[in-house]
Amino acid sequence: MSQNYRLDKVGLINRGKKISFKFNGKKYFGYEGDTLASALIANGVHLVGRSFKYHRPRGFFGVGADEPYAIVQLYRNGETDPNCRATEQELFDGLEAKSVNCWPSVNFDIGAINNFLNRFFPAGFYYKTFMWPKSFWYKVYEPFIRRAAGFGVASTKHDKERYEHKYEYCDLLVAGSGPSGLASAYAASKNGAKIILAEDKPRFGGSLLTSEANIGNQSGKEWVDKIIAELKEMPNVIVKNRAQVFGYYDHNMLVMTERINDHLPKSKKYSPKQRLWYIRAKEAVISSGSIERPIVFGNNDTPGVVLASAAREYLKVYGVLVGKKPLIFTNNDSAYETAIEFKKNGVWPIVLDTRSNPDSETINEAKSMGINIKFSHVVIAAKGYKKVKSAEIAKISKDKKDLGKIENIECDCICVSGFWTPTIHLASQSGNKTKFNENIDAFIPDKVKQKETTLGSANGIFTLEETLKTSFEAGYEISKKITNKENKITAPQVSEKKQVKHDKFWCVPLPKNKTYKRFLDFQNDVVVTDVELALREGYRSIEHVKRYTTLGMATDQGKTSNLNGLQLVSNIENKIIPAVGHTTFRPPYTPVTIGAIVGREVGKHSKPTRKSPMHLWHEKHDAVFVDAGVWLRPRYYKQGNEGLFEASRREAENVRKNVGVCDVTTLGKIDIKGPDAAELLNRVYTNAWLKLPVGKARYGVMLREDGIVMDDGTTTRISENHYHMTTTTAQAANVLSHLEYYLQIVWPELNVNVVSTTEQWAGAAIAGPNSRKLLQKLFSNMDVSNQGLPFMGYVEGNLFGVYARIFRISFSGELAYEVNVESDNGNFMWEKIIEAGKEFDIQPYGTEALSTLRIEMGHVAGSELDGRTIPYDTGLQGMVSQKKDFIGKRSLNREAFIAGDRQKVVGVVPLDKKTSIPEGSQLVKDANAKLPNPKLGHISASCWSVEYNNPFSLAIIKDGKNMIGQKLFALSPLKNKSIPVEIVSSHYVDPKGERVRS
Amino acid sequence: MQKYSLFNLIKNAFKGHKEWEVAWKDPTPKDEYDVIIIGGGGHGLATAYYLAKEHNITNVAIVEKGWIGGGNVGRNTTILRSNYMHDENGLFYEKGMDLWRSMSQDLNFNVMYSPRGIINLAHSDAQMNAYSRRGNSMRLNGIDAVLLGREEVKKLVPMLDFSENVRFPIFGGLMQPSGGTARHDAVAWGYARQADSMGVDIIQHCEVTGFDVVKGKIKGIKTSKGNIKAKKVGLCVAGSTSVLAKMLNMTLPIETHLLQACVSEPIKPILDNVVTFGAGHFYCSQSDKGEMVMGGDLDGYNSYAQRGNLPTLQHVLTEGIAMFPFLSKLKMLRTWGGIMDMSMDGSPIIDKTHIEGLYLNCGWCYGGFKATPASGWTFAYTIAQDKVHELNAGYNLNRFNTGHLIDEKGLGTKTWIS
Amino acid sequence: MLHIKCPYCGMRSQNEFAYGGDATVKRPELNKEVSDEEWNKFVYLRKSPRGKHLELWHHISGCRQWFKVQRDTITHEIFKTAEISEDI
Repeated sequence: MSQNYRLDKVGLINRGKKISFKFNGKKYFGYEGDTLASALIANGVHLVGRSFKYHRPRGFFGVGADEPYAIVQLYRNGETDPNCRATEQELFDGLEAKSVNCWPSVNFDIGAINNFLNRFFPAGFYYKTFMWPKSFWYKVYEPFIRRAAGFGVASTKHDKERYEHKYEYCDLLVAGSGPSGLASAYAASKNGAKIILAEDKPRFGGSLLTSEANIGNQSGKEWVDKIIAELKEMPNVIVKNRAQVFGYYDHNMLVMTERINDHLPKSKKYSPKQRLWYIRAKEAVISSGSIERPIVFGNNDTPGVVLASAAREYLKVYGVLVGKKPLIFTNNDSAYETAIEFKKNGVWPIVLDTRSNPDSETINEAKSMGINIKFSHVVIAAKGYKKVKSAEIAKISKDKKDLGKIENIECDCICVSGFWTPTIHLASQSGNKTKFNENIDAFIPDKVKQKETTLGSANGIFTLEETLKTSFEAGYEISKKITNKENKITAPQVSEKKQVKHDKFWCVPLPKNKTYKRFLDFQNDVVVTDVELALREGYRSIEHVKRYTTLGMATDQGKTSNLNGLQLVSNIENKIIPAVGHTTFRPPYTPVTIGAIVGREVGKHSKPTRKSPMHLWHEKHDAVFVDAGVWLRPRYYKQGNEGLFEASRREAENVRKNVGVCDVTTLGKIDIKGPDAAELLNRVYTNAWLKLPVGKARYGVMLREDGIVMDDGTTTRISENHYHMTTTTAQAANVLSHLEYYLQIVWPELNVNVVSTTEQWAGAAIAGPNSRKLLQKLFSNMDVSNQGLPFMGYVEGNLFGVYARIFRISFSGELAYEVNVESDNGNFMWEKIIEAGKEFDIQPYGTEALSTLRIEMGHVAGSELDGRTIPYDTGLQGMVSQKKDFIGKRSLNREAFIAGDRQKVVGVVPLDKKTSIPEGSQLVKDANAKLPNPKLGHISASCWSVEYNNPFSLAIIKDGKNMIGQKLFALSPLKNKSIPVEIVSSHYVDPKGERVRS
Repeated sequence: MQKYSLFNLIKNAFKGHKEWEVAWKDPTPKDEYDVIIIGGGGHGLATAYYLAKEHNITNVAIVEKGWIGGGNVGRNTTILRSNYMHDENGLFYEKGMDLWRSMSQDLNFNVMYSPRGIINLAHSDAQMNAYSRRGNSMRLNGIDAVLLGREEVKKLVPMLDFSENVRFPIFGGLMQPSGGTARHDAVAWGYARQADSMGVDIIQHCEVTGFDVVKGKIKGIKTSKGNIKAKKVGLCVAGSTSVLAKMLNMTLPIETHLLQACVSEPIKPILDNVVTFGAGHFYCSQSDKGEMVMGGDLDGYNSYAQRGNLPTLQHVLTEGIAMFPFLSKLKMLRTWGGIMDMSMDGSPIIDKTHIEGLYLNCGWCYGGFKATPASGWTFAYTIAQDKVHELNAGYNLNRFNTGHLIDEKGLGTKTWIS
Repeated sequence: MLHIKCPYCGMRSQNEFAYGGDATVKRPELNKEVSDEEWNKFVYLRKSPRGKHLELWHHISGCRQWFKVQRDTITHEIFKTAEISEDI
């Protein structure tokens, strides 16, 4: 198809490069520099989609981020993106797009039946019906409504694209490269400030690209090119196009997305699709311009009704006519520029101006060109279904209440202008309260909250001369504060046509007996009567109106609809607009790709992975890993066809029978030094620490101030004032912060330093009856006898030339040692242990076997110390000193904590000695009691006891100390299990702890 | 009161919808009420409704600083559930589920109660065990719960990341099939409309500036619209409880924090259930409009600002993509923030106070929306009867003295860590 | 993202820090008899002011020092930061 609506010469597109693309399966051509929207309009395609509720035909309304209609499904490089705005998507070779929200096609859409039934679907109709029968809402109505909802279709594949983040600091961030942005950036950069200038669109210049004004002796476009070229050369300036500053956050942090590859058929190698910039700016200039607002009239959603400024931009930037018989409908001067532009290109427009007899340079120029202007005229309704074919127009009385005789005039587009709304989103996001400016009928920023300045039309200034003057001044003043320099540049001379005041007119009254829909929110299909209904029903706050009607909640977030909605509320409620107020502006200004917000932390990298120095060895030996926080730990080492159960049982048995080795590197380790170190430990742990000799380790439990167990572990006295603390893997970071908190804030008088050494040491636990023999082989010169290295003893050793720390501590309940070497030597240590252990039948064991060993010994761990238990509950009451004070002690005296029937850890054995009890089962007296069935406790950990060859579990149970010997039921309704059990002591194996001391 | 029904909708359609009455009136406050509820949010409106409906107390005013439903009832992710481990929570929230099930009919206002099922994903056997403990406890309390294996989760939510390229693979999950969502604004409006029709005065744009307490007994409140006398006053202002408590010289086990949520642009249906991530803090559902509704962590410092910062959302969405890779190509459309009463054990407070006639309803953390009916129902009981109901007996203020805490997460008093 | 001045390291972005809660809470001295009320006040009760809040932050990805911050809980503006031993 040929580009019937493309002008021969006008525009900034590259006619030298023809680009082919497909829309709804049909092939078209456009040029490099087109957007999908401009290329479609050039080809005479005006029907792009269907509206949300009534499925009415939708075309193009705007030319950028304010576009409420033209949302398409995009196909690029084998992937698909839902909800792309055709007005923003740049054309690339091979681009494919499809209409959304229509079936079977955009031309014939079954859903449009809604349009004929629309009288039954006023605002909030769904709140009033679909209630009977009761279950029908979610079984019948809701699924039906859900199917109708939504625009595009999400890709089901992983996103192949990369997104990156960048953190940047600057003196001044300028958001928007229109006249105020360029002027302030230029003035500030010349005064030495470090600048970031961001422009959302591919081309810099904003309104200057379509303005007829001259700056100095240059056109607006020439001036833009010159300034941008100069800025790009300056080392203190970063200039970015396709970069939208979408959020103004606390402490002058602004966030910007840069679309690096969206305009190309596929992303360049090593280049992210988009980059998210976190920018900490000393100062921000908000030069985001303004958006033209529509005048509301009948069927104003018909394809072919566009903003006058959009029509002008399509013409001047893309060389595209939105129509060949344009009707311009305006209440102000700016739309005359659109009319003039049409005329210059040989198209005769008709202008309808709501004002009775305005007189200005612009209007006079239009008149002198012979343009047909009808003053005091309005468009009553657009005619045509899929495209404007004509318009009903009429004269309007001075008070704007009475309409004259209705005429029908032919036209193929209606370019509408209801004056300009400053884009104050960023200023409002920063915390700025807004104020209503009567002169422009819109809100502008008021007192600034953060370090920001709003300039140009975003601040309600609509003449180029004043914009440049104030912006050059502001750029200089802001930069001076930061750089202390005084290189001032004066604003250039501007020649622009003078404009006169706009008409405070925004909505055309309905003629008698006409029921045209007059749209406020074009995407969400919110019409004037919807807002009227909301107010009639008492939804009077502007937030209620918004929520009840969904006004301004579409993907354009009300950029063209909010102010007209406010006008309507203000008219009906007879309140001035500032009293109505507006809904809050929140980031993002325009929708932001979630992938860009997330950046590189996707897939396997969504969280860090920590591995011990022996990880590769484990991998090589068929370890199956388990996540322990962000650490990976071997869960078991698979031999042959073994599963988890067989392997862990084999490993645990081998520890009990021979010797095993377990990687315990992940345990938290904290180095504690200083003359008051013992005193610190004494206050942190529940037991006594002042008399621990050098070369000895001790088990300790620490509480939170609320009396709940926080962590446990052993701490060893390495030398006089030097201790080595271990924590659980999960709590390592918390414990360090906890110690620092007390040392720095509560007890600054203690002379102690703490530092994490978790990464510095690799650890191996050697456990089992053969462990002493193995240790002797590893440290041949060392006295490893029970006297030489007794239980809870500590020595330093030489492991084949490598410095090692040896602790005789045990988690498995067996005779056991833990050897630590510097991390770099971890693998060396591990291989030496395995090699030397061969003759003692050593096997590595993972966390599952470790768990079995600790459970049958009745040692508590994370599943018992679950943030809800006190020492008494977990059998650790012996660890609680009665003599001294410590963190959390006072809380232990509270009523619930000293109650006689307090919960306690016990052992649980199934009566049949065969059935494993699922962890998380609940213990009850009567398995068949009616619900709610009172629960006595729960199974916290289960294992297959390798010592007794039957299942064994730990449980935390109410009145635990009196429950031993009781017969109860372990119920797991989730797994459909009811298991008769007996409560026994939690110390199932070696209750006296003889083995560890052997 | 006009009945809402399909018949009436059609009838009104032919009259251009010009004959619909106001959903609630806009009265000026009377001199005195039997009960004043401070806070026109979901809980306050529900309390007033149940005072009238269950206890026949209709000389009631709701005093709201802004507009009704403007607080957390209009700023949440609309999730309903009772999947709690502790009995106090489980039984309380299950009462709520009962009320949710018939709310649309009860209020004659479609609140779009949608039991689409809520699934908590598990990413390790240890987590499966923790969920088993919770799920078994739920089942023994008569609450529906199902433990799902990986394949069962896959069948229900195929869009989750079941590939090899994940940091925390999905082991399974705990599902409460009757959990789901409701239309949040409709809940506030539905309660307001019914309460209003039974005689409750809904007074908007009326800020409480002080209390009239004489000899340990409440006599009334001071407001921007003048003093109003009351025999009983109930506080339902989660998020701002500490501010009002200060006027009463009370210090509470509560901190105020900021929670953000966001929605994506609307897309065609892709997710039927509510799903939560198990290796972090992220939850997601798809609204009837097609938007993905997402939330997660607190911003993490005391705040009364209803505006948060991006790194928190970045963190939340990172977990979102880890769970649902398809989110990557969607766009974040709208973000918002709500302020939360974070209580020191993560559970709410519904109780009498040391001041006679003054009642406290607060500490909802980020779980207040689903509690709306049960909270209103029990609070109305407590106010009307001047005693706690067995369902809110555990939510007493004194538990922080006795140690009878209800700590569902076991995280203690660092309320900002979630 | 907040911008916080660590008294030891200078201005840094919030992601280097961990929040530590109300800085006005004073732990009762060790070995001192305290009433239930006093103890519970320390463990659980928080003023949670709307406006100026004196709070603790911990420079965990930096110098690992705890310090005090005076911040507005409505606007998030930071007025002052100080070492623990200093008064604000």
